[in-house]
Amino acid sequence: MSEKDDIETPVITEASSTLGDGNCEPAKNSESVDQSAKPESKSEPVAITRKRPESKPSSDLETSEILPVEETVSKDVPQTGWGYWGSWGKSLLSSASATVATVGQGISNVIEKAETSLGIPSPSEISTEVQYATGETNAKENANSSPLTGPFGVFSTISTAVQTTGKSVISGGLDALEFIGKKTMDVIAEGDPGFKRTKGLMNRNSTLSQVLREAKEKEELWTSNEVTLETDKKTHYGLLFDEFQGLSHLEALEMLSQESEIKVKSILNSLSGEELETLKLELEQLKEAFSLAEFCEEEEEEKKGDEDFTKEITELFSQLQVSSKPEKLARARNTAYEWISTSLAKPLEEKEEGEKQLETEKTEKINKNSVEDIHAFAIRSLAELTACSIELFHKTAALVLHGQKQEVTAIERSRTLSQMTVVLCKELSSLSKEFTTCLTTAGVKEKADILNPLITAVFLEASNSASYIQDAFQLLLPVLEISLIENKTELPEA
Amino acid sequence: MEAIWLYQFRLIVIGDSTVGKSCLIRRFTEGRFAQVSDPTVGVDFFSRLVEIEPGKRIKLQIWDTAGQERFRSITRAYYRNSVGGLLLFDITNRRSFQNVHEWLEETKVHVQPYQIVFVLVGHKCDLDTQRQVTRHEAEKLAAAYGMKYIETSARDAINVEKAFTDLTRDIYELVKRGDITIQEGWEGVKSGFVPNVVHSSEEVVKSERRCLC
Repeated sequence: MSEKDDIETPVITEASSTLGDGNCEPAKNSESVDQSAKPESKSEPVAITRKRPESKPSSDLETSEILPVEETVSKDVPQTGWGYWGSWGKSLLSSASATVATVGQGISNVIEKAETSLGIPSPSEISTEVQYATGETNAKENANSSPLTGPFGVFSTISTAVQTTGKSVISGGLDALEFIGKKTMDVIAEGDPGFKRTKGLMNRNSTLSQVLREAKEKEELWTSNEVTLETDKKTHYGLLFDEFQGLSHLEALEMLSQESEIKVKSILNSLSGEELETLKLELEQLKEAFSLAEFCEEEEEEKKGDEDFTKEITELFSQLQVSSKPEKLARARNTAYEWISTSLAKPLEEKEEGEKQLETEKTEKINKNSVEDIHAFAIRSLAELTACSIELFHKTAALVLHGQKQEVTAIERSRTLSQMTVVLCKELSSLSKEFTTCLTTAGVKEKADILNPLITAVFLEASNSASYIQDAFQLLLPVLEISLIENKTELPEA
Repeated sequence: MEAIWLYQFRLIVIGDSTVGKSCLIRRFTEGRFAQVSDPTVGVDFFSRLVEIEPGKRIKLQIWDTAGQERFRSITRAYYRNSVGGLLLFDITNRRSFQNVHEWLEETKVHVQPYQIVFVLVGHKCDLDTQRQVTRHEAEKLAAAYGMKYIETSARDAINVEKAFTDLTRDIYELVKRGDITIQEGWEGVKSGFVPNVVHSSEEVVKSERRCLC
């Protein structure tokens, strides 16, 4: 079962050819599997950059209050559901978006705008803006307070990260990523009349998977109206994410999360007095673990080798003590990196002799990968990695709820999961950087108006991916809460 | 072109632990036999398109459930949103056959108010020498519950296509006749996306908000 095939797309085999026969299937099925999984090398139209269906979690003021990590930041946390990058990005962009707020008629406009004004702010600029911008409150966003929703007090964590580790993170390119992504988002948000509709994400009546499903359906609708459907599909993040079963796993995770949440509530209702207070306190600690995104290993970002991600994620997983393994994720990630390195291998050598030589197109391998190919592969990889990550969270939830009892506590698990979320998001960030390096290298001869939308799209989807992962991570909170409660009640008896 | 389908059916695959649910599904969706397989945790997801008539494709979303008892409370939650199901037992494992009743009773309770079209699948039919359940008694049981019976082998790729496509076709007929309808808030059957030219009167079941024009 450990062959690589299980990370590949569920295949569309020619069912018609086997319809008639009753007793055996032709063996060719397995061949078509392999073929369909390979990236094709013909060029294709670039998909419209998709904005992430905005999650609009309520801000959980209680949580942010119990995290007085930095005094410089206001307590009124602008929660955007973008997690730690998101809030950060939002604030640094709040000034920038004002300049483009008048746009917003169409996505393409927005993207252009976002690109043309793309300048990467210096670290100091960012941190001042962070402090400046967090004074803003978005009253609307504070409206409801479902415990299920979004990152709790994550902003505190971010600004800490910015202040303490700002240099390394920012030089790593997260700013660029968030800068483009968030700016595009903000502008779209202001100009898109349909945007309000998606705002209710993660409320009672609208879950993340629902919103994503809707977005996917819109994409399907859109693509089904196009003639060149099969090429388009390759660059539609939503469709690809679904193809890798990301939506289904997300939906399953949501079910577990909601169930647990209901249980937690009814348990809390049944308690009173000291018992209730003690439990509440413990649950607060757990929540805290969920808002702690520790940037503990930022130093090694640059030297990070191929093995490290796999090692790190595997280690984190063993700490969780759930029997599920992150192999699929690691494989997907490594495949992406292998692809990148073959794609980059040639041009890097040539660079020494001067970049102009790239134009001579004598290197066969690299030239097979057009910028459109790279873009398509990048979007595909991001969708796959995100789907795998969400699958892992889903499996973790199932095992935390129904696995064998383990020595590890719910709080320890929460911390590990929190760290894992950071690792995954960092990975997406560095992967998107690699992809854009590929794009820039392969596209030196391309015009900016061809290359830039592709780069923006990669950054934007990477940013979206990170947000999905963070939202999924938050769905684990009720699961760990119930696990904490269950361990508590079981321990005295045992 | 592959992405165009008429309907999406959600199928659930259930049955005792180790009867071969995941292997059957992976043979069907990936076209190969996985020798070793870890027990499924909670639920897994697969999908594939099936062409039931020339030009008419159905997307199958297959929910592979864990057979292990400890995950039962999770898997139960998924019956409700399925339109069809494959109920597997292992023909070399009498116990798994005896449990078929229990599985059916359990689904009956949890599928309300919807219904699931089930097919009974006697799996691992390549191991005929170790057979503990005769075809006759399995057919009898299936008939008693109004199900079809089919024997399959994921290893030798026997009847795997047929098991899924027959079930798909049966459901399709029910949908066409209006016995099963698309309902808001139910994931069992969803209408797919068809190019405008293919629209015909028989696809009136489609929900209105999907209207392409």
